[in-house]
Amino acid sequence: MSSQQKFVAALLNAELPPPAGLLTWNGSDPAARFAVYRNNVQVSLVNALADTFPVTQALVGEAFFRAMAQLYVKAEPPRSRVLAFYGVSFARFIEQFPPAATVPYLADVARLEMQRVHAYHATDALALSADSIAQVLTDGENLPRLQIQFHPALSLLKSPYAVVSLWAAHQGIADISTIDPYTPETALVIRPQLEVEAIRLHASAGDFVAQLLQGATLGMAMEQTSRDHQDFDLTAILGLLIRSQTILSMHL
Amino acid sequence: MLKQTTATALAMALGAALTVVAVPAVAAADGEKCFGVALKGKNDCAGAGTSCAGSSKTDYQADAWKLVPTGTCEKTASKTSATGYGQLAAFKANSK
Repeated sequence: MSSQQKFVAALLNAELPPPAGLLTWNGSDPAARFAVYRNNVQVSLVNALADTFPVTQALVGEAFFRAMAQLYVKAEPPRSRVLAFYGVSFARFIEQFPPAATVPYLADVARLEMQRVHAYHATDALALSADSIAQVLTDGENLPRLQIQFHPALSLLKSPYAVVSLWAAHQGIADISTIDPYTPETALVIRPQLEVEAIRLHASAGDFVAQLLQGATLGMAMEQTSRDHQDFDLTAILGLLIRSQTILSMHL
Repeated sequence: MLKQTTATALAMALGAALTVVAVPAVAAADGEKCFGVALKGKNDCAGAGTSCAGSSKTDYQADAWKLVPTGTCEKTASKTSATGYGQLAAFKANSK
């Protein structure tokens, strides 16, 4: 182990002795000084997670959240200098964290919060105007063969739980007492006008967008979704995608 | 034959979607990106290749922008801009 690896190991595990060769300016015990530093590192990372996952924290309370976050920090310290994206694997950690098993929807709420952060920081991109889309329409023959390129801020989350409603309830948008967390919901995360939004999609619309994201053509996605869902409303989802400026190009 | 009905259905749905969209699309254009007017850390975003909101390091940073009502950008004071006001594209700051 290199001296840096030893330093990091001791930083994350309070049971390890401080790294060898530490000096203090006033001759005080290096172990005590190192413990202060270790504590600052861990607390700042837990704080970063609390900033990114406020609804996840609200759902289980601060004490539970911070205890869980502390274990995560030790298990998966940051791999990047960008603190904004720290916690990409937090949802997966929550899924496998036995004490959180009684709140099975917690991991997906965390997933939604992380997707919002990614949407917030995604690159700017200019959406196709309604005029350019009308232009595409003039070549109707080719329409089924077109693929859609979406805005980099767009992402989808299909959950067996009411993720969008649970999140909204913590923004004062919905009343939490009326929400059944076990209702499946699909979230569409977008950033129209620089404002991140999570919109609840009809299951059929969610399947349609998921196929397009995987590179299916409009024709394939439409036919498959219509087969799977009697109630698929193609006009509604296309309208939403255009209105929220998510379509960057429609191409062969 | 299926291909033809798919094409028709798609064209109709897209056409209908566009008529629904027409109105809000106009309202959505109400704003312009204004460079050089945001105070430190208060920008909405910045030029290519940088991180985004809240990332500007200095007041009136020349390549960081804020969304402002259309028409007001070039009337907003900017200490870094050669014109003395915000600009609609990233610019090189005055060296003073």
